[in-house]
Amino acid sequence: MRPLASVRPRELDEAVRLLEQARRGGRRAVLAGGGSDLLGMVKERLVEPDLIVSLRDVRGLDQVASGAEGTRIGGLVTLDAVSEHPAVRAGYAALAEAAQSVGTPQIRNVATLAGNVCQRPWCWYYRAGFPCFKNGGGTCFAATGENQLHAIFGGGPSYIVHPSDTAPALVALGALFRLVGPEGERVVPAGEFFTLPGKDPARENVLKADEVLAEILLPPPAPATRSTYYKVLDREAWTHAVVSAAVAVDLEGGVCRRARIVLGGVAPAPWPLPRVERMLEGQRLTADLVAQAATAAVRGAVPLTKNGYKVPLAKAVVRRALLAVAGPAR
Amino acid sequence: MISRRRFLEGTGAGLAATALPLPEATPAGSASEAAPAPAPRTAIRIVVNGAERRLEVEDRWTLAEALRDHLGLTGTKIGCDRGECGACTVRLDGRPVYSCSMLAVWADGASVQTVEGLSSGGRLDPLQQAFVDHDGPQCGFCTSGQLLSARALLDRHPHPTPDEVRAALAGNLCRCSNYQRYVEAVLAAAGAAPASAAGRLEGGGGSQGAALSVVGRPTPRIDAALRVTGAAAYTGDVRLPGMLHARVLRSPHPHARIRRIEVGKARALPGVKAILTRDNCRVVWSSGDTRNTRFLFNDPVRFVGDAVAAVAAVDRHRAEEALGLIEVDYEPLDFVLDPEAALEPGAVPIHPGGNLSPDGEGRREPEVYRRGDVEEGFRAADLVFEDRYTSCHVNNAQLEPRVSVAAWEGGKLTVYASTQGISNCQADLAKDLKLPPADVRVVCAFMGGGFGNKNQCHDFDLMAAVLARESGAPVRLEFTRKEDYVAVHGRWPTRQRYKVGLGRDGTLRAIRLQGYSGMGPYRKGSGGIAGVDLFQCPNVETAVHPVYTNTAVAANFRAPAYPQGVFGIESVMDEAAHRLGIDPLEFHLKNLTRKYHDETPYTGNGLEECVRRGAAAFGWKQRWRPAGADSGPVKRGVGMAIGGFGARVGRSSAVIRLDGSGLFTVHVGVTDVGTGAKTTMALLAAEELGVPLPRIAVVSGDTDRCPYSVGESGSRTTGFTGFAVIEAARELKRQIAQKGRPTGGDVRVASASPDPRLEGVARYSFAAHFVEVEVDAELGRVRILKYVAAHDSGRILNPLTAVSQVRGGVVMGIGMALHEELLYDPASGVPLNAGYYGARVMTHCDAPEVEVLFVESDDGHGPYGAKSLGEPPIIPSVAAVANAVFNATGRRMHDLPITRDRLLGTGA
Repeated sequence: MRPLASVRPRELDEAVRLLEQARRGGRRAVLAGGGSDLLGMVKERLVEPDLIVSLRDVRGLDQVASGAEGTRIGGLVTLDAVSEHPAVRAGYAALAEAAQSVGTPQIRNVATLAGNVCQRPWCWYYRAGFPCFKNGGGTCFAATGENQLHAIFGGGPSYIVHPSDTAPALVALGALFRLVGPEGERVVPAGEFFTLPGKDPARENVLKADEVLAEILLPPPAPATRSTYYKVLDREAWTHAVVSAAVAVDLEGGVCRRARIVLGGVAPAPWPLPRVERMLEGQRLTADLVAQAATAAVRGAVPLTKNGYKVPLAKAVVRRALLAVAGPAR
Repeated sequence: MISRRRFLEGTGAGLAATALPLPEATPAGSASEAAPAPAPRTAIRIVVNGAERRLEVEDRWTLAEALRDHLGLTGTKIGCDRGECGACTVRLDGRPVYSCSMLAVWADGASVQTVEGLSSGGRLDPLQQAFVDHDGPQCGFCTSGQLLSARALLDRHPHPTPDEVRAALAGNLCRCSNYQRYVEAVLAAAGAAPASAAGRLEGGGGSQGAALSVVGRPTPRIDAALRVTGAAAYTGDVRLPGMLHARVLRSPHPHARIRRIEVGKARALPGVKAILTRDNCRVVWSSGDTRNTRFLFNDPVRFVGDAVAAVAAVDRHRAEEALGLIEVDYEPLDFVLDPEAALEPGAVPIHPGGNLSPDGEGRREPEVYRRGDVEEGFRAADLVFEDRYTSCHVNNAQLEPRVSVAAWEGGKLTVYASTQGISNCQADLAKDLKLPPADVRVVCAFMGGGFGNKNQCHDFDLMAAVLARESGAPVRLEFTRKEDYVAVHGRWPTRQRYKVGLGRDGTLRAIRLQGYSGMGPYRKGSGGIAGVDLFQCPNVETAVHPVYTNTAVAANFRAPAYPQGVFGIESVMDEAAHRLGIDPLEFHLKNLTRKYHDETPYTGNGLEECVRRGAAAFGWKQRWRPAGADSGPVKRGVGMAIGGFGARVGRSSAVIRLDGSGLFTVHVGVTDVGTGAKTTMALLAAEELGVPLPRIAVVSGDTDRCPYSVGESGSRTTGFTGFAVIEAARELKRQIAQKGRPTGGDVRVASASPDPRLEGVARYSFAAHFVEVEVDAELGRVRILKYVAAHDSGRILNPLTAVSQVRGGVVMGIGMALHEELLYDPASGVPLNAGYYGARVMTHCDAPEVEVLFVESDDGHGPYGAKSLGEPPIIPSVAAVANAVFNATGRRMHDLPITRDRLLGTGA
């Protein structure tokens, strides 16, 4: 690695200030939560910071607080802590399962929830240093190349898929993201945090320069809410989703009052399925309806030359995820 | 065009690469000003293994670096430096983390436990002892990491289930694929009911020949304690005073002429001590290509990753910075990636004369074998059909990455090499550096796997030696994992076109194979496609074309010509059985080989017994149904395949010394790649000498102290070197009989260099594998439900390590069948997924339990009748899985790997 400095501020304001200061001084500064993905990128020279601002010591960002108004998860809470926390497991199973599905125990012990949400793509062209949109260039090599793992929805001009497992779960659960930056704080719904490449192919979210994802706010779950995260991966562990589905439904008396379905692995951002949600709301989740919903879920998919298999796969994933939350016995 | 893009170093600052939303800082390479500012440093305090350590670190050092290079704790290994393998696992405040993926400064104020902290007062932690007893470490390189993850698990959950163990260790790869042993060991340490330590199925068939005292009993590896305590010193752990660090600059182009190389800026970087390029180094790497002249630095460069320059500097970061300052002006040329495309008219010639690599006599012809008349055979057949199968480039992926340390003392060179063959390495180094062999010493005390890609000396050994000579200091040259994947070698990809003719009763009448193997641009391997020889057939014609391509070089990887060839022929045989409505088991019993090439008798042939006993143990008759029997999305199926591999005899040497204390020291040139060779040699010596095992010590891995050895390849160590050990033991016994036992400072020394030959017979090991899979056809996922591996390797010398060996090869084969491929971008010739993550190497959670059955015999050759065992286990595994997938789904998979997109049938 090139020479770099690492600092460990104790306050979030200080962290933001350090980022801003560095940038004004013509130095490159990046944030590190757990830092594991960041270091890999630094070693591959995808990112060449002069300064790493580690957030590990920042006060107040590593707590989970649960109450009547919902649950607040600090951005620095590790994926292991998220997946193990009783309030998360009880009220937001999709998030617990998604966090549990990431990587390996070693990764989950240091990786933070915010870091997972803000993770850069794992497209192999990007990671191999091709001069693509994500690397500041003007093209997408996957579009006409090896695109087995790329987008079937929402793609263009870049065709990456968003790599985070927790992101679809957070969108499905209606999370809010509290962002802190030099200009102050703002709260952005999870569903509006992620951006498609049509807007700006170089980025995956709305974070401004020197802004930090400080906290994730989850609304209190309804007593009848059931959620799950269904992930398909190549290998039984340690791999990003090929296709995944975060599903949250409110079932009352066997009738689905509310449904949220968000796909991972299929689009440059977590991919909600509002049309499918409307099909399910007010209905009983019978096997037939679920099958119809699964078919509807993939309507409009635009596969590339090598990822057509993701269409039937996504259909199967939606069906299985819905059956899983619908519970036993129709 | 000056290309500053450094593949394998990432984009570098030369391209317009922006880091997230922040603006460009001054690119690294353009600085022509004076010495760069010193790297920022911080004083930190870490409690390591219970002791407070204070040190000043550069902020950019990883925790792994700080532990290994600056605290002398080399038990923590670096396997990939990217958080993709787990070898570097340590416990940070009790939690397992990847020490390569965190900065040392981030551990300031924390407590860290490394493998060195597990044992106390010289006593092994119960987990470490369990690892020893249950054959946990094969090569041992992943062992430290496995231990720490396991220790953390047991501290939290003292009584885990097997699946909980696997989940806890999911972040620790083992390429020797010894997963089942690790799980058994952890469960044993947790006090669970012990599995049979030997782990093999009973009823494997009795040994012929006398019962032995030491050989044949499950024996823990004699150096296991060193491997579980982190005390085993691998090449990367060697530290010499004043040692420099070297890195290699590599071509980003698959094929290009080099117009100009400018090293001035790199040379001017303080701390850079030597730079080699084609301009100042014309050393030929003779074992790097057996047909063409391959220099250390070639022009043109012929694959992405071909070496262009090597730099030695005061530390690895400085060396890496220097690489970024070397400017290379490339003229890109046309390139070709596919072996069939490379033979088409108009394909760019990678070497003068075209892309069909010449045979051993220099002729531009495929390697051909014929017997009988295939056209006649097809005419006489009731069923004739053709089929095409492909396999891809698969990397050996051993956990220990490439590293070499070279040091000169006057005219004498010592190379600490991670090698499977110290004698071959020594001979090659001497030849290529034009030194007398006596002036070259090769040392390898422990090595972390190779599976065939560490057989001889390599270009990096030579580069390290030349850099050391140039700079006047010892030089340590290391590769990144990506370099290991791209710039060494892996298994050759193949295109196999078969035509087969059979009688209605299933008897083979004729087989033709037209094969193409992608060798990369340098001919380092045979390119063979083997497997047809496993079948009895009167008319055979095989023509295999080894072809140059602008891809990673292909050479030896565990049974180099076999798993891909057996996948091809066994798929064809399975298809034939299917079309004729014959159970594959019956088909095999009808057609398996009974004489080598249908003419030369085998010294012993346990293949049929492997098939029968394996099938019985598996329950084949109960499980087999015609293909595609299950109509739902989840489908079960079974498949089988056979294998065979040469178990030759040949020349090697051993020296045994008896001293006045009664200790026998066996000197053999093995390095123990993970096979347990040291232990096997000790067992053979103990048996022949008639003494208990603790009376034997083994000296290995040093050409100054060990005689010639054939090298640990071709599964020959037991057969060749083991035989020499027995001969030396017999010679020693003769000396003792004549002169009595030595007393005081007296010694008896006996040496043997036998060169046995076998005339008129073929000596082979055999195997038959049986697999049950569950295919989820909607998800495109294959799971292994049951696996039985039956092996004839003659007499099994150590059932503990032998079972581990078989399971390891099987799991490796499953990975080849389902996941692994070095994928190239067709437009640029750049490999896209080099590394453990990209290759989807099998984890604990992927590895099924494998039941092992041995059919034992003693054919009177080799050491007590032992035959080869290292390579056979991978041979039938790929085909067995593929055939099981066919049986489950009714769809024949023609291309490896059998990935999700292929199973779902909609991929390209």
